[in-house]
Amino acid sequence: MVSLARVSAGRGSDLGLKVAGIAVALLLVELCTRSGLLPERWFPPAGEIYAEFFRLAGGRPLWVEIGRTLLGWATGLGLGAVLAVPIGMALGSSRTAYRLSRVVIEFCRPVPPVALIPLTVLVYGTDLQTKTFLVAFAVFWPMLFQTIYGVQDVDPVAIDTARAYGLGTFARFRTVVLPSATPYIATGLRISSSIALILAITEELVVGTPGLGRAIIVAQSAGDPTRMYALIIATGLLGWALNAAFGALERRVLSWHPAQRQEVAR
Amino acid sequence: MLEVAQLSKVYGPDPAARPAVADLTFDVAAREFVCILGSSGCGKTTMLRCLAGLEPVTSGHVRLRDEVVSGPPREMAFVFQDYSRSLYPWMTVERNVAFPLRYKGVPKQEARAATQEALEAVGLGGRGRSYPWQLSGGMQQRVAIARALAYRPQILLMDEPFASVDAQTRAGLEDLLLDVWQRYEITVLFVTHDIDEAVYLADRVLVLRAPAHVALTVEVDLPRPRNQLTTKGHPDFGRLRSELLAALSPAGTPQ
Repeated sequence: MVSLARVSAGRGSDLGLKVAGIAVALLLVELCTRSGLLPERWFPPAGEIYAEFFRLAGGRPLWVEIGRTLLGWATGLGLGAVLAVPIGMALGSSRTAYRLSRVVIEFCRPVPPVALIPLTVLVYGTDLQTKTFLVAFAVFWPMLFQTIYGVQDVDPVAIDTARAYGLGTFARFRTVVLPSATPYIATGLRISSSIALILAITEELVVGTPGLGRAIIVAQSAGDPTRMYALIIATGLLGWALNAAFGALERRVLSWHPAQRQEVAR
Repeated sequence: MLEVAQLSKVYGPDPAARPAVADLTFDVAAREFVCILGSSGCGKTTMLRCLAGLEPVTSGHVRLRDEVVSGPPREMAFVFQDYSRSLYPWMTVERNVAFPLRYKGVPKQEARAATQEALEAVGLGGRGRSYPWQLSGGMQQRVAIARALAYRPQILLMDEPFASVDAQTRAGLEDLLLDVWQRYEITVLFVTHDIDEAVYLADRVLVLRAPAHVALTVEVDLPRPRNQLTTKGHPDFGRLRSELLAALSPAGTPQ
């Protein structure tokens, strides 16, 4: 109980520090623009940006844009994960398959997904398919490697236990390998979720597919920097919210994992 | 019950490599409690893995109830030294004990009853819903024993199961093991490097030397039920202890 109280007290003051940090940062930005240190034409005062942000958040259009970005994020992340996890499991389980595919993987992995934009536009045009493909390509690699590492890192004693109790290959995979690999896959998903958002917005900026990215470009060309900043804040908050959601999911699903355990041995 | 004949095990493809087990021969009778005693690195663990069908043998054979062991037999349960890695952290205590039963084809209702009974036998009847990592080391090893008991084996193989718990807990686990050994009418093959533990538990102690072969067999005729105070105070206990100590020390070469 003592340690619990200390933890919550620590959390309380931590929150206070965070809020104070944000307040100081906003105050500095406001001072810089009001004092003329930053040209007001390109750097509107923080107060105005936030007023615009809340005005946008109160209306429907912003949410439509967020929905469009999230749709590309979700389809791409889903497709990437659905492809990467089974392939990763196969490559992680078989040394031969891993060696066989390594060179190809090492060749494809460093290709920046944005370099594929022209090709993708040629093949799929400028709609959701392009966004989905780019996001899926970008998240495929971290998901693949997390899955391979997860499968390869299964404790040999855990496997021996299953073998000693007569579990066959398939049963061992289901009972031991899969649960052991889930923390790695969950981490892969959390990392990939951020990458997916970056790619979705980049694609909207470059290709002009509807979504938050295109809304930013539209605001910029309309000479409305306040709205542009408000939209940038929206993308930041979206990224933060997605990361928090995946963090919460990890804590729930992996409550047994040493990194997530709330309780120690008693 | 268990028959080991001219068992040899060489790791790797090179037949001239130093064997881990060489010409190992012994028998274990039904319901006997046999301890295998050997210093670290003498091939105890390799031997046990061969017996359990986890490791292919190079030559010789292992027979369990007249059947050659080629894979993990259904009549055998294994308790590992490293309980924290042998129990699955994502499963509750109950599921850790119950999962082998599902694959053994035990009906659900029966499996549940066997799980509860085994947990009660090791004094953990109320902890089924806990996770292993919420329990102490001694309790975790009791869960591993419960898993072995619920499997209804005829023979229980144990690889230094009490080596990583403190002395007090260890004494408690030894008595618990003797109790379930009697109650469940099973055969136990128990590997240890601790002389006192071997003498306290066993009907018979086999001393192993590297590469694993039986260097000495000692019958332990201390009265049962054993008791931490009276058995360890028995004059024969000291005699057996010295005998085994001499056999284990590098200088002693009894034939």
